[in-house]
Amino acid sequence: MKIELIVSGVCPFCLEAEKVWRVAAADHGFEFVVLDIAQPEGAALAQRLNLQTVPALLIGGVLRAVGVQSPEEALTLLHSPRQEAHDRMQQMGFAFSPDNRWFILTAQVYLMLAGLGLLMNSSFLSDNAARPAFMHLFTLGFMLFMIYGLASHMLPRFTGNPIREGSWPWLQMGLAHCGVIGYAAGYLAGRHTLIVVGAVLTWLSLAIFAFRVWPVLWPEEA
Amino acid sequence: MHKRNRLFVSIALVYGLLGGLIAIVRLIDPSLIPGNVPRAHGHIMLLGFILMTIYGIALHVLPRFGGFPLYSEQMADWQLYLANAGLPLMIAGWLGWRDMLVMVGGALTYGAIVLFGLNMILTVRAGGRGRVIPVQ
Repeated sequence: MKIELIVSGVCPFCLEAEKVWRVAAADHGFEFVVLDIAQPEGAALAQRLNLQTVPALLIGGVLRAVGVQSPEEALTLLHSPRQEAHDRMQQMGFAFSPDNRWFILTAQVYLMLAGLGLLMNSSFLSDNAARPAFMHLFTLGFMLFMIYGLASHMLPRFTGNPIREGSWPWLQMGLAHCGVIGYAAGYLAGRHTLIVVGAVLTWLSLAIFAFRVWPVLWPEEA
Repeated sequence: MHKRNRLFVSIALVYGLLGGLIAIVRLIDPSLIPGNVPRAHGHIMLLGFILMTIYGIALHVLPRFGGFPLYSEQMADWQLYLANAGLPLMIAGWLGWRDMLVMVGGALTYGAIVLFGLNMILTVRAGGRGRVIPVQ
């Protein structure tokens, strides 16, 4: 069963409602979707239901409540079988999910490391053996991580389709960190094998990202 | 999300995987892929992966953030065609040591960049065509 929460970016109470229902949905193993009325999917649903108030809650496609519910009220609205696999739940958040938050945060660390490395290594002035390490700390560590965090957060909201969650983003993140660090360390230490392993791990993280994002862009029913 | 914008992001993912794969193959054995592979890799990642991701997301979100509809859907469509005609030509030019292909491909890619830039300027500037339909 799917829980849909219709929200607005200018609604001060919507974030609180999302927190309550995210926890309730996770506890009961429900699919949880947040739809913004500023986006076409959310607007269409709000128009169909003739909604005048947000946040509004739909359970199984039926409008069940408006406003912010307490955790106890949320429980009373949920009389349903427990779902089998919590880690397979697909959701999209109004606020950053923890994985996307970490992608964005660590991207800034890689950015600072890359800039420091390029400055200290005089890589802005000349090519040298260590330059690829710092260049890729910027392109992979900063730019790729920013795309991971922002695209995973925004694309589900733009399309109204859920993204693959559970352990997938954490696997993607682990591979990306090991890959970027291994790649840079390989260049700095002059270890070619480490460079190759780092590149492969980073590529695998990108493949997982594509696997997660593809159904967001091209859902089966489309 | 408009199908064209989803195509931009999808194609960006394909370019990202392709560009990464080329780099890995090059790292393992530089003789396996002929031509100027580092330059091809760099441009596949920057023009193919990063720029097309930006195209797809920006064409969707900037009109909404700006409060006006996209100035021209046709310009954005042609931007998609030019970008995806230009980059393969550039890649073919670098891998085949054909400078003419790189130049033609570069010109087409630049055409896409100009279309995007103009479209965004005309969309985001104050006094555009009209407000996005408000939803209350």
